[in-house]
Amino acid sequence: MTAARIAKTAAYAALTIYAALSLYPFLWMVSGAFKTREEILDGGHLIPREPTFDTILTTWNQLAFVDYFRNSLIVTGLTVLGVLVVYSLASYAFAVLRFPGAKTLYWLFVALLFVPGITVLLPVVILENRLGLLGTHMGLVLPFVNGTAPLTVLLLTAAYRSVPKELREAARADGASEARIFLRVYLPLTRPAHITIAVLTAVPTWNEYVLSRVSLNDESLYTLPLGLESLISGTVVRYNEVLAASLIMVLPVIAIFAFLQRYFVNGLVGAVKG
Amino acid sequence: MATRWREWLTGWAFVFPAVALFAVMGVYTIGSGLALSFASWNGFTPEWIWVGLENYADLLWADPSLAPGVRRAAWNTLQVCVAVPLLTVLISLPLAVTLNSVRRLRGLLRSVYFLPYVTTGIATYYAWRYLLEPEGSINLMLRSAGLGSLAQPQGWLANPSTALWTLILILVWSAVPTATLLYLTGLQAIDPSMVEAARIDGAAPRQVLRRIIVPLLTPMTAGIVLLGVRDSLHGFQIFLIMTNGGPGGHTNVLALETYELAFFKGLAPTLGLSSALGWLLFVGAVLLTLANARLLRRVR
Repeated sequence: MTAARIAKTAAYAALTIYAALSLYPFLWMVSGAFKTREEILDGGHLIPREPTFDTILTTWNQLAFVDYFRNSLIVTGLTVLGVLVVYSLASYAFAVLRFPGAKTLYWLFVALLFVPGITVLLPVVILENRLGLLGTHMGLVLPFVNGTAPLTVLLLTAAYRSVPKELREAARADGASEARIFLRVYLPLTRPAHITIAVLTAVPTWNEYVLSRVSLNDESLYTLPLGLESLISGTVVRYNEVLAASLIMVLPVIAIFAFLQRYFVNGLVGAVKG
Repeated sequence: MATRWREWLTGWAFVFPAVALFAVMGVYTIGSGLALSFASWNGFTPEWIWVGLENYADLLWADPSLAPGVRRAAWNTLQVCVAVPLLTVLISLPLAVTLNSVRRLRGLLRSVYFLPYVTTGIATYYAWRYLLEPEGSINLMLRSAGLGSLAQPQGWLANPSTALWTLILILVWSAVPTATLLYLTGLQAIDPSMVEAARIDGAAPRQVLRRIIVPLLTPMTAGIVLLGVRDSLHGFQIFLIMTNGGPGGHTNVLALETYELAFFKGLAPTLGLSSALGWLLFVGAVLLTLANARLLRRVR
């Protein structure tokens, strides 16, 4: 074996080991979801001896998954939509338009990166309690949207700045309005950056637990993380069902990501270069 | 003049939704949170009692039932803030360089490496909890590999001396995906002719890596470290879900303590204390970021 060959084998060995590590808890999620209550207790083996669908079925019937999915979709969907609309407009203004206060506002939004979510969590709850928003889905969406401001403004402003200025001037010479230039020239050219923002917003929102926990009381409004939590709050934790529920919760995210992956990576490349 | 006004108005119109949302959700919450940090309140009485800087003093030294706990949480937080970004860089940089050097399976491996980011959160934390149990697969694997002495018979999260570092490793595990992806994009931006020229001049692959590739990736490293420090200071979901600060406060962090003081103290007037701790965390975040930026500039 030549040295180059050895190096290559070593590289693949290292890469495979880390791949296994990345997949590790996920594999056990799949394995546990197909084990019975008895089999999960003597753990240790990844491949179930007598794989059963019953665990997934019982878990599905035990929790109101349809409600949780609908609620999670509403909260995540509205948050992503809000983030894309509100901050693409603002970032376009910061990147392209000239108006008094632009610089100050831009740095204000970026500086918010340093305000920890936990520091404003209590005031958000107090405020929403006064406004009657506490315990509603809107009461989750508004602070979630506001919380993504720093990173979104940073990435989208960079993306819009990377669009050649000549394109805007040409469109203006043709008499296009600012809104039209934004929608027809800038948005199509920066689509990967928007998909990146959508993924970076959707994943943590889908998994958000802290604000949801302290604000949602009505069980019919619960999102998936809260539904999942109810499985583990009892005295005896049935891990096969917990793992089955976890699997049900993460599968759609994996599917969507697999579908969007190409754009996501391109958007990240663009954002980093810009 | 008219066109100038028009451009100003258009600009303001474009930023209006963001500013309006910030005025409601941001300005008010930041302002009232800061004010509350100088008051004493339990959330139910109609009036706040102004106490000046007392909350800050109580947290830092004055109250013997609070200050030691806060100091311990601060020490735990500091360990997380240093260890997580450092280990993330030490794993993801070689991983990205290795992945960039191979051709076959690169796309597939990149997707697999990204899986922990996509699934991170309560679902994965429960799966890890199961794996770290006394009879969980981590212990069983160690025993069957003849490393039974390393196994933790009480479980990795119940043993005070392993709990914090176990959580740190899981945090690294979930931070590596984005860092690796960022490094990969950085590597692809490096001009191949530069590496080629160095090689023709007789530089060994290791020298190319150390003298050319790693320095060119320094801006990326700076970004990864800064975001890593921020996430470690701000995030506490994993601590809440996996250990809730236990065993015996060994995995308590400042953000978790802030959360407990805000929502789980019943009628005790701890809301002002919680706000004060939240703002101390903010000051810590700014100081750590400045220190980091300085350190990285010197390295460069």
